[in-house]
Amino acid sequence: MPPSQREICVAIVDDHDAIRFAFKGACEEYGLRFCGSAATVSDLIDKREVLGCDVVVLDLSLADGSIITDNVKALLAAQTQVLVFSIADKRHQVAAALKAGAAALVRKSQSMDELVSAIKQVASGRFGVTSMYLTHADDIQIKMAQGAKPGEGGQLPPNKVYPWIAKTRHSTPGVGLISPPPHHDIYSIEDLKQLIFDVKRANRAARVHVKLVSQVGIGTVAAGVAKAKADVILVSGHDGGTGASPLNSLKHAGTPWELGLAEAQQTLLLNGLRDRVSVQVDGQMKTGRDVVIAALLGAEEFGFATAPLVVEGCILMRVCHLDTCPVGVATQNPTLRSRFTGQADHVVNFFEFLAQEVREYLAALGFKSLDEAIGHSELIDVNRAIQHWKADGLDLSPILATPAIPAGASRRRITVQDHELEKHFDHKLIALAAEALENSKPVTIELPITNVDQAVGTMLGNELTKRFAADGLPDATINIKLKGSAGQSFGAFVPKGIKLSLEGDSNDYVGKGLSGGSIVIRPDRASVFAAEKNIIAGNVIGYGATSGSMFLRGIVGERFLVRNSGVTAVAEGCGDHALEYMTGGIAVILGPTGRNLGAGMSGGVAYVYKLRADHVNHEALAAGELHLNELNDKDSEQLKSLLQRHVEETGSALANSMLENFATEVNHFTCVLPRDYANVLAIRAKASKNGIDPDSETVWQEILEVTNG
Amino acid sequence: MADPRGFLKTTERETANRRPVSVRIMDWKEVYEKRDGAVVKTQAGRCMDCGVPFCHHGCPLGNLIPEWNDLTWRGEGMNAIERLHATNNFPEFTGRLCPAPCESSCVLGINQPAVTIKEIEVSIIDEAFDKDWVKPHAPERLTGKTVAVVGSGPAGLAAAQQLTRAGHTVAVFERDEKIGGLLRYGIPDFKMEKHHIDRRLAQMEAEGTRFRAGVNIGSDITWEDLRSRYDAVLVATGATKPRDLNIPGRELNGVHFAMDYLVPANQVVAGVSVENQILADGKNVVILGGGDTGADCLGTATRQGAISVTTLAIGKQPPAERPGSQPWPTMPTLFEVASAHEEFGERSYLASTVEFVGENGQVTGVKVAETEFVNGKRLPKAGTETIIPADLVLLALGFTGVEGDEISSQSSVALDERGNVARSADWSTNADGVFVAGDAGRGQSLIVWAIAEGRAAAASIDEYLEGSTELPRPVKPNDRPISI
Repeated sequence: MPPSQREICVAIVDDHDAIRFAFKGACEEYGLRFCGSAATVSDLIDKREVLGCDVVVLDLSLADGSIITDNVKALLAAQTQVLVFSIADKRHQVAAALKAGAAALVRKSQSMDELVSAIKQVASGRFGVTSMYLTHADDIQIKMAQGAKPGEGGQLPPNKVYPWIAKTRHSTPGVGLISPPPHHDIYSIEDLKQLIFDVKRANRAARVHVKLVSQVGIGTVAAGVAKAKADVILVSGHDGGTGASPLNSLKHAGTPWELGLAEAQQTLLLNGLRDRVSVQVDGQMKTGRDVVIAALLGAEEFGFATAPLVVEGCILMRVCHLDTCPVGVATQNPTLRSRFTGQADHVVNFFEFLAQEVREYLAALGFKSLDEAIGHSELIDVNRAIQHWKADGLDLSPILATPAIPAGASRRRITVQDHELEKHFDHKLIALAAEALENSKPVTIELPITNVDQAVGTMLGNELTKRFAADGLPDATINIKLKGSAGQSFGAFVPKGIKLSLEGDSNDYVGKGLSGGSIVIRPDRASVFAAEKNIIAGNVIGYGATSGSMFLRGIVGERFLVRNSGVTAVAEGCGDHALEYMTGGIAVILGPTGRNLGAGMSGGVAYVYKLRADHVNHEALAAGELHLNELNDKDSEQLKSLLQRHVEETGSALANSMLENFATEVNHFTCVLPRDYANVLAIRAKASKNGIDPDSETVWQEILEVTNG
Repeated sequence: MADPRGFLKTTERETANRRPVSVRIMDWKEVYEKRDGAVVKTQAGRCMDCGVPFCHHGCPLGNLIPEWNDLTWRGEGMNAIERLHATNNFPEFTGRLCPAPCESSCVLGINQPAVTIKEIEVSIIDEAFDKDWVKPHAPERLTGKTVAVVGSGPAGLAAAQQLTRAGHTVAVFERDEKIGGLLRYGIPDFKMEKHHIDRRLAQMEAEGTRFRAGVNIGSDITWEDLRSRYDAVLVATGATKPRDLNIPGRELNGVHFAMDYLVPANQVVAGVSVENQILADGKNVVILGGGDTGADCLGTATRQGAISVTTLAIGKQPPAERPGSQPWPTMPTLFEVASAHEEFGERSYLASTVEFVGENGQVTGVKVAETEFVNGKRLPKAGTETIIPADLVLLALGFTGVEGDEISSQSSVALDERGNVARSADWSTNADGVFVAGDAGRGQSLIVWAIAEGRAAAASIDEYLEGSTELPRPVKPNDRPISI
């Protein structure tokens, strides 16, 4: 019987009696069946307690001196899964255990609330989209359509950004989060293809979804998305959505999923693209009948959100945006959370009933499986529906039509997209960085690069994150020196431990989602032009970057550091719309900027040389949300050290001359600081100084008062 | 909505205080003290103005509860009473007598004490009457059609007011000497003083409704005669046939149906003289039946000076809190402490009465056994009998249907298998132009259902007479409260 239908059986191998004893008690408390325990793996096997076990929890280093890989292999041979449990950070042993086949690692130092979610979303705000986030996912969904959210991009009002939320989102407590309406790195289908490419290299095992809203013309979009190598296309209907939406978004965005799904299915079939993508559908799906109709119209996967939430206690109060959810569902407020009564097994029950209903419909239709039903829209009988006087005269046959397709063509996915992963530049890097990845030893790699080499460093970063999780490796452990022109998305999602130094120039999306790595770009040493007067990198540098550093000796394009959540970056000039929706990090701009700087900037700080006030976003300045200050002593110190690093990394002539005259030059810098961010930081700093926990309730109340949350 | 966080700031219910027991049992006036407007306002702030207001559904009238809660919070009494009157003809009755299914389905009640909706309702209407905001709404034009409403309880009165306002000429017939039906004579003053009825009747008379008290349809005028004289007839005579308990000793003196005791008691309080009134003073009283009628008998017996009152209920004591079998938003059966229970008397559960014991034709005691459940039936357990002394026994065992057979013999109106007047989806009986609303068609039920049925039946009658109607239809004849 599969584990879902019976108690899960677990055993433990640990040399401490107290831990074995505590583990047994924990099993009882959590409803697991305790199979046995031993101080060594061979004991467990000899006692035959390992038989029938689903999981054995194995301490990384045992007193008998056995080697971890041998232990893991022995347990695997006994047909059980292994969960490695370790107090120490013995990286190479952990890596070895995982490579030998252990299914998971639990560090004794890990906090209880680091959860694993299988399906992750990449929305326009890119909040929290780091290498860790992407690496630990089975499905990654790029959300193109976002009609049913407050604000036209998403918005989390300041009173809902609790300290633990801010930590997950890499932002500041008490400061509201705004997502820009479009993805700032997607302005065409080719850009979407680029993002799919980048995300796929950040996690080759995950399926990449693209979420589209059901609308007239979705067929063309779906075909384009399929050509752009998405693995799953999600058609999202106009129903459902969060209660926090404004009514006009709720009621007037999108069309019913049936229409969008039918159009997408027909277009994909017509273009011979249907067999390599999965089509998913959602939008207030509630019953087995919905599932079957969706399947007949061509969907293979079905998304449910409102219905399971109602199972967990949601009563459709529609006050989600006010943070007063009385049943504790749409809130993080601790008082309200204590009123939450949802239970996981209720949700499981709901889906079991749903599945039962689906089976009944399939049987009535004469199908033995859901797969057989997919795409057979000819089985939908609409006569009774259109007999109603209101529907009289409606011809629904275009919705139910199947286009002429060659015999044997599949109406559903039967193969996979060819992502051409094997052609990626990073395979070379991964091979050359073996010593670092396996043994944490520093390596230096030198290679040429051309502009067809896209997302360089991303796949390597994924390998690093798989082994070393959020902590990564010490800075520049993998020191990569490249010469030439880099393609798009240079250094995307690169984690801490990788340094990419490029001599030459690069294209758009440098440092997209940077997750702790460092990027340095400088013109070729033989070049004769003035670096600070020429373009070194393209548009949308550092989009959604969360940590790390970038030193760019030259001018960059538009939307520099849009949605920056914590990266430190130096550039010598930039285009329009720099620092848009920034929530954290430090930006240093040593030359002229374009217009509309700092639109929607709600966190972080920027030091801009000779900033023109009329280049700053007018609304933010007028509303007092952005302050333009002189640099104080702390700011000056920070600027100076950044300039020094910029010189060290890139040999910047501009920065060098600024340092030589620092006392005068510092007066030409303006500090761009968001007001709410400054206040929140001040409150938290004061609390820490007085020995009060900045995440505590009293400090939170102070923060809310100041930001009017 | 005024204050989204109101429910987090004010976490406890506060209702009007009841006067001290020792003081209130000396008179027949309402047990509640005057309400504090500031408290009501704060309590109204607890309403969360839900996106899906379950209170609307819990209330058969479909009262727009979050709206008048908000208006109360804002101190806009005139708008509040307009909102309230839009769905409820008689908030002064329901605000005192309704068991509040709205509060049982209040969303806040899922995990916190429910909003005090009933208190807010009664304070709105009391303020409106005090400040003379309740005006008659006579129709601008008359239709020239006539309707006879038989029975002046809440169902009949609601229908009468709706039909009068729609322009018809309505005459309400009542066999008792005064208008009000159960409201006036079934319910004791300490639950609702009768001047509230008189005030409302004054408004109805000013609107043009005619009242004919002391006329018993079926004997003074036959049903067919009535039908021939009026363009439509509404049967709203209630479910007055009491449930009997035919056990040995039933014929002894001193064993009475509850209404035979209550009605005269209320008449006397109203100043009407009654011959041979059944009195409880100086007696040991036993009441069979633990419902509202039983509680009314208890309060009345207490005030009449009974030396003991024991209430016997055949079933288990209901739980104090909502049980899992009656989840939100259903209306649970809970152990209630009504005002009468606070004053005097004992309550016994699982008590099956097996015999009335007497001497010389007068009851002296009640023999009671423990109830046991056998195959789902409640049966007395042999060998557990005890005798409770009783000089007066009141049977408050519920009502089983319409009394008498005049209506079925004098017209083609038929009864259904439960003993209620049979009706179809538009409230009509099988006699053309004869409709039924309230307990007469539904069986014994709540005041709020009666008013809702009266309003809905009025809409059907209006449509019958005019071809179409604009009157609201809050319920359908086969609507039932939500249950598992």
